[in-house]
Amino acid sequence: MLLQVIVNGIATGCIYSLMALGLTLIYKSTEHVNFAQGEMSMVSGFVAFTFFQMLGFSIAFSLFMCLVSSIILGLLMERLLVRPAMRAPHFNVFIITLGASIVMQSGAGLIWTYDQFPFPSPFPGKALSLGLIRIDGVSLGIMGTTALLMVGLYLFFKHSKTGTAMRAVSQSQNAALLMGISVKRSFALTWAISGFISGVAAVLIAPVIFLSTRMGLVVINGFAAAILGGWGSIPGAVLGGIALGILENVAPYYFPSQIRNIIPFAVLVGVLILKPTGIMGEETKRRV
Amino acid sequence: MSTHSTRTGLLLAVAALLFFLCPLFVSRYTIFVLNLFAIYALVAIGLNLVMGYTGLISAGHAGFLAIGAYTTAILSTSMGWMSPLVILPIAGVLTGLIGFALGIPILRLKGFYIAMVTLAFGVVVAEVVLQWSSLTHGDDGYKVPRAVLGGFIFDSDVKLFFLIQPITIAMTLIARNIVRTRAGRAFKAIRQSEVASETMGIDLAKYKTAAFAVSAFYTGIAGGLFAYAVGHISPDSFSMSVSIDFIAMIVIGGMGSILGSIIGAVILTGIQHALSELPEVQTLIFGIALIVFMIFLPKGIGGKIPDLMQSILRRNRNH
Repeated sequence: MLLQVIVNGIATGCIYSLMALGLTLIYKSTEHVNFAQGEMSMVSGFVAFTFFQMLGFSIAFSLFMCLVSSIILGLLMERLLVRPAMRAPHFNVFIITLGASIVMQSGAGLIWTYDQFPFPSPFPGKALSLGLIRIDGVSLGIMGTTALLMVGLYLFFKHSKTGTAMRAVSQSQNAALLMGISVKRSFALTWAISGFISGVAAVLIAPVIFLSTRMGLVVINGFAAAILGGWGSIPGAVLGGIALGILENVAPYYFPSQIRNIIPFAVLVGVLILKPTGIMGEETKRRV
Repeated sequence: MSTHSTRTGLLLAVAALLFFLCPLFVSRYTIFVLNLFAIYALVAIGLNLVMGYTGLISAGHAGFLAIGAYTTAILSTSMGWMSPLVILPIAGVLTGLIGFALGIPILRLKGFYIAMVTLAFGVVVAEVVLQWSSLTHGDDGYKVPRAVLGGFIFDSDVKLFFLIQPITIAMTLIARNIVRTRAGRAFKAIRQSEVASETMGIDLAKYKTAAFAVSAFYTGIAGGLFAYAVGHISPDSFSMSVSIDFIAMIVIGGMGSILGSIIGAVILTGIQHALSELPEVQTLIFGIALIVFMIFLPKGIGGKIPDLMQSILRRNRNH
C-alpha cells in the first residue's frame, strides 16, 4: 500500500519537477527568479480551454495551442518585463515577476471567472497493474511525458549548437558575447523554453487538479522542489520535485491530513534553515 | 534658517490640530478608513525598515500582523482589565521576538531565499491560526473585545481614532529617527553591499536580526490596532496576498522612505476601499503598479519627493 502511495507521489512530483525545471533554467542563464512560472502554466491552460470549450476546436489542436501560447507568453515576459530591467538588481526583477503573477491571476479571473473547470487529459484512463501496484493512465502519461521532456532537454543542451551556446552564456555572459553568441537571443530562448515547460506542465496538471486561477500556486511547490533539490541544479530540480511529491503523498499517511497543505512551506523553511544548498546544490562562492 | 524651522514647526502643529479635529467634520466611515490608513502605514514602515532600508525581501509580513492581532485579541479576552497601552506593547514585543527568531536562520541566506523563507513563514502562521482553533477559534474568526483604558471604552471608530493616530504618529517619528542613527545607516549600508559594510566593521548578524525584530515589532503593534479597529479577525485577513499587498505599498510609496511608506499605504488602502466591490480589478491594478513602478520608478513616489523639493527650492532661489 505504501508503495502505491509512493508511485502516486512520483506522478505528482513529476509536475513539481517541471515547475522547478522552468525556474532553474531561467535562474541558471539569467540569475532571475520567475515568480510567474505557475501563472504562465495557468494562462496557457485557459488558452487551451478557450479553444476547445468556447471556440469548439478539437482537443488535440487546443493542447497544441496551449504549448504555442506558453512559448509566446515566455517570450513576452522576457521582452516586455524582464529586459527593460536587465541592468536593475535581481531584487527588482523578482518584484516585477511577482507583479506579473498577480496581473495574470486577476486578469484570468476577469476573463475566465474564478470557477473550476474540468480539463481533458490526453492520456487514456485505463490503469496498468504491476503486481501489487496500479498505475493509472494519467499518472503514467505524466511520468512518461516528463521523462521524455527531460531527455529532450538534455540532448538539446548537450549536443545542439544553440544549447551549447546557451550553456556558455550561463557560465559567462561576457565570454559568450566575445565568442559571438547573442546573449539577448539566448535569454529570449531560455524564457521560451521555460514557457514551453510551463505549457507542458499545464497539459499534465490541469486534468488532475482541474483548471482554475488558483492553479498557478503550484509555483510554490516548484520553488520548494527546486530548493530541496539544490537551487540552480537541473538534476536537483528533477530529484527535488519527485522527493517533494513523494513526501506530500506519504505524510498524510502518518500525520493528520491537513499537513499536506503546509508540506511545501515546511520543506522550504526546513531546507533553507538546515541545509540551504539542498540535495545537489553547490556552495556558491561570494564574489567581491 | 531658524525662522524657517519655526515656521515649519508651526505649520506642522496647525496640521496636527486640524487632523485631530477632523472627526468633527467627516463621516464615521471616513474615520474608519483613516484608522486603517494609519494601521497600514505602520505595517508599511515596518516592512520598509527590513526591505527598503536593509534590502531583505519579506513576503510574509501578514504573518507578523496576524501574531500581533491574535495576541491582542486573546489578551483582551483573557485579561480584559489590561489596558491597550499594556496589551499593545506585549503584542509588539512578542511579534518582535518572533521576528528576531526568524532573522537568525535568515543570516545564512541571501536575496531570493529570504523571500521564500518569509513567504513560507507567513503561510505557516496563517495555517497555524486556522488549525489551532482551541485558541484562535480557527475559521470562525475571533471577536475582539473593545479596548478599555481605565474605564474608558473605545467602542467607536472616532474613539479608536484617538488611540490609533497618536500611536502611529509617535511610531512614525521614532522610525524617522531610527533611520537617521547609526543603526539606520548600517541598514542602508547592508542593502548596498554586505561585503563592503562588513569590511567597514558593521556587525551584519546584529543589524540584520535587529532589522527583522524592529520590523516585526511595528507590524505586531499594527496588528493589535487592526484587531481593535475591525473587531473581528479570521485567518483570511492574513493570507499570502495580504503580504504581497504590503510589498506593493512600499514599492509604490518608495523603498527606503518613511514618508513613502505612508503614501503607499494610503494609496493602496484607498484603492482597496474605493474598489471594494471589484477585488479582481484591485489586484490587477496592484500587479500592474508593481511592474510599472519597478521598471520606470524603482524608488517609488517617496523617492521622487526629494528631487521635487529640490527643484521647488531651486526655483524659489532663482526668483
